[in-house]
Amino acid sequence: MATPKQCISSLARLSLTSTARPTATSIPRFLAPSITQVQAQQTRYAGGGTAQMQARAREKEKLKKKRKQQRFKEYKFAVPSKAEQFSLCDAMRYLRAAEVGRPPTSVTYEVSLKIRTIKNGPVVRNRVRLPYPVKNDTRIGVICPENTNLVHDARQAGAVAFGEASLFKLIKENPNNLPFNRLICHQDSVPALNKAGLGRILGPKGLMPSLKTNTITKSIKGMMTEMVGAETYREKIGAIRMPIGNIQFNPKQLSDNIKTLVMQVKGDIEAMEDRVNKDLIEVVLTSTNGPGFSLNGGFLPTDEMIEPDHLSTAM
Amino acid sequence: MVNPGKRMHILKALLELRHGPGAAILPPEITRIHLDFALRWNDGHMGPRKFWKTCLPRLKFWNPAVPMLVNRSTNQTGPALMSIYFRQSAAKATKNLTPLVQQPHSSTTNECPAPPPEEEERVVTIDMKHQHSDAILTEFLQKTGATLVHPTPDEQMEMQQVEELQEKGAVDRAIVKKYLDEKRREEKLLLQARQEAEAIKLANQ
Repeated sequence: MATPKQCISSLARLSLTSTARPTATSIPRFLAPSITQVQAQQTRYAGGGTAQMQARAREKEKLKKKRKQQRFKEYKFAVPSKAEQFSLCDAMRYLRAAEVGRPPTSVTYEVSLKIRTIKNGPVVRNRVRLPYPVKNDTRIGVICPENTNLVHDARQAGAVAFGEASLFKLIKENPNNLPFNRLICHQDSVPALNKAGLGRILGPKGLMPSLKTNTITKSIKGMMTEMVGAETYREKIGAIRMPIGNIQFNPKQLSDNIKTLVMQVKGDIEAMEDRVNKDLIEVVLTSTNGPGFSLNGGFLPTDEMIEPDHLSTAM
Repeated sequence: MVNPGKRMHILKALLELRHGPGAAILPPEITRIHLDFALRWNDGHMGPRKFWKTCLPRLKFWNPAVPMLVNRSTNQTGPALMSIYFRQSAAKATKNLTPLVQQPHSSTTNECPAPPPEEEERVVTIDMKHQHSDAILTEFLQKTGATLVHPTPDEQMEMQQVEELQEKGAVDRAIVKKYLDEKRREEKLLLQARQEAEAIKLANQ
């Protein structure tokens, strides 16, 4: 059925494309019935169209479906617009205002790195050594064969507990009051550790040494120097969240810390590239009680009255 | 938080941190502000607490360089005092050389009571006990001679939008509450009827 609107639109098209369209007047009379039939076929129907058109429509539908499925395989994410991003000093100004009057020991800057990632793939997890550590209460226990140089090494590097059988005994006897909060294991002691069956005790505490968490090593000394002042991070629900600084840090210190972390996470993502595709979507700075600010990578405040030095006074 | 629309609304709420009671720029003579009151709100400590929670963030936003410390203690009967430290000479402030860790800081355990004024400093105190936070603010503004910050027309419009959104939210919430209440009432009635029916059934057996 041709409504008047369609007629008008077809007329308009006629006037725009002047050539190559046979007009009704130029058709010989004896051909008229067949022509009218052809014209009737050419009117548009909802499900009509040539085979090519239908194929294209099917393809489109398929793509749409695939995209929809893909959406549920990934964690939701939104790319922030420029209008809702802040420079570091602006974000710090707001956060310091939100945290005014709180004891600085109980307030930290925190950072959350949003990552576009599938839900069931491998996750980013690693340790980072921040240039300005947030807090330093790492106490390390070392599992290594007794009566070797390794024990000496561990003691030198400042381990609070070391050994093999004696350490296992200690863990079994008072599992709720362990002297260490990190546990690493030498490669030679792995069989002994597996035999001891401590997974039930150490597993829930997140202390069980494993290759996955980078806590089984050949060089105890190197690992321990790396661990002191190092923080572990891990991607959960498409985001890495970790404390990044004390509220008393000045903008320079905080920016150094954030840069270090972001560079390392980018490196981790690159290292996983052959297994899974991930993207860093945004970096959000927040504090214990404050709102979150998506950072735009800039440093200087937008307000001319404020200098970075102003943001490093006592809180 | 993923939803971009929601995010924009929340960003607009940042206006709360910029404008409202307490949005004022202090004169450059003021070196620091110290608040001293109790942890809980009874015995006249509600006003200072509210001043800290509502006005101080805005003051801090507009004067980020001025240290504003809050020292709270468990002593409810103690005083609630605000000390404002004025620099007396117009000369530039001597750089505070002690590291930040050793400087006085905010605390909840009465660690840093108001320090005595340094040389060439003058202290003005405000007694905040049994005072409303608005009264404290007016006294503060009068004693410091701070200049108020007013929102620009754009910001005013945004604030109005936020307000409208809140009003709309309240209306929507009322509608949903009515619907839910009705649903719960019906469920309750149904449950009661069912129990009664079962009781009758049991009695018949």
